[in-house]
Amino acid sequence: MAKPTVILVGADKGGVGKTTVARTLLDYFGAHQTSTRAFDTEWPRGTLKRFHPDLTEVVDVTSVPDQMKIFDTLGSAEAKVTVIDVRAGLLSATLQALTDIGFLESAKKGQITFAVFHILGSSIASLDEIAETARVVGDANYFLVKNFINNTTFFEWDPAVYNSYFKKIKGAEEIIIPKLNEMAFEQVEVASVPFVSFVGNKNAKSETANYSFVLRGYVRHWLGNVWGEFDRVKLVDMVSPKIESNVRQAAG
Amino acid sequence: MSFRSSITIVASPRPRVGKTLLARLLTDFHLHEGRLVTAFDLNMGDRTLAQFLPDKTRAASIRDVNGQMALFDHLVAYEDITKVIDVGHEAYEAFFSLAHNIGFVDEARRRSIAVAILFIVAPDHTSVTAYRSLRERFTHATLAPVHNEMLGPAQHRDKYPLATGGPGLVRMAVLAPGLRRYVETPPFSFADPRIADSPLIPATAYAELERWLRRIYLEFRELDLRILLADLQSSIQLSSNSQS
Repeated sequence: MAKPTVILVGADKGGVGKTTVARTLLDYFGAHQTSTRAFDTEWPRGTLKRFHPDLTEVVDVTSVPDQMKIFDTLGSAEAKVTVIDVRAGLLSATLQALTDIGFLESAKKGQITFAVFHILGSSIASLDEIAETARVVGDANYFLVKNFINNTTFFEWDPAVYNSYFKKIKGAEEIIIPKLNEMAFEQVEVASVPFVSFVGNKNAKSETANYSFVLRGYVRHWLGNVWGEFDRVKLVDMVSPKIESNVRQAAG
Repeated sequence: MSFRSSITIVASPRPRVGKTLLARLLTDFHLHEGRLVTAFDLNMGDRTLAQFLPDKTRAASIRDVNGQMALFDHLVAYEDITKVIDVGHEAYEAFFSLAHNIGFVDEARRRSIAVAILFIVAPDHTSVTAYRSLRERFTHATLAPVHNEMLGPAQHRDKYPLATGGPGLVRMAVLAPGLRRYVETPPFSFADPRIADSPLIPATAYAELERWLRRIYLEFRELDLRILLADLQSSIQLSSNSQS
């Protein structure tokens, strides 16, 4: 059985688009035939669940029974990748909880692949979190995500200050989520379907929908760029290190 | 796959090379062939095409998303209407970037609509680079260079390589200077049967105009055949691939 992967998507600040990033991740792994499950910590009503109801369970990450539901099932769950969309303000607390239950220790020993997608806000305050989370995460796969999806002005802070934080985390990678046309983004929101379904002109019941071709085109192009970023940081290799040999077997 | 209709885009990054005349001729050619046709005028300024063929032309704009949706969603609609687009030089790059980003040609093909780009050749570096970029970006569209003979001899033709098995250079013959005044006052349709009996056009001038039109329509028929042939070739390739 392949090693399970846990990806934490979080930010200490609300409204920076972490659920959007979680959605692109679920679409990405889906496109790579990697079975995935997701936990939405916006308890009791989750936004992620609205877009990916089949994959997502809403949990209260601070409660022990729900922690058991997530972490005790890692080895037995069918899904290889677990994506956890951590509610705003809970990233540091969740990481602390993971330290307490010995999860980070297992990750360090290599029993579990662990990655953090830290979605950055536009203020200096959110940079302070990098230092704080870095202390807990250690050398996990740490991705700093600059989310431009619905912002036109962003990152007005000094690059020197940013770099000084960025360098504190050994091996941290930067991911850029480009801007998506507002109307296209809104239409996906209204449709409440995964980005991939919107591009494929399907509604939540997988029936043919009637979305604008132009808006679908915008989403397809944007999603292609986001996935390009995930390809660049070799996300699939991180999740399935053996994929190359599998490909070779298939080819040979 | 067999195409049910086609979209022809008339384009050049340069002004005053004869785009609108070419778009008028194409629209009238399709009308002459008995097809339903809609033309889209993407020129920002005077909308010349819309002035010449007001009943057949829609003014279009891609400056905002609403305009883009109005144009492109209409272009790929499931309907048996031939479409001609006159892309003004100001809209050139915005139009093709958008078409490329949203996957316009592939979507059209999925809906059995053939896309052809008629590019008016000119010796300048901008045009040559723009043509090369179209070849790279729109591999599934039929790209045909057009030599507007009114612009002089095409000595620069070697700068516009043709696709293997694709259409050759489309020639737009010079209209005798004495005839221009009959066709350059809008509204005017070359497909309008009344022009044969119009008291404004002398019989000799009309005969000359007819000859000119026939030459150009012949070029368009050849282009139509090339598009059909490309379609057949891709169908044959598809079926032989699925058999092997």
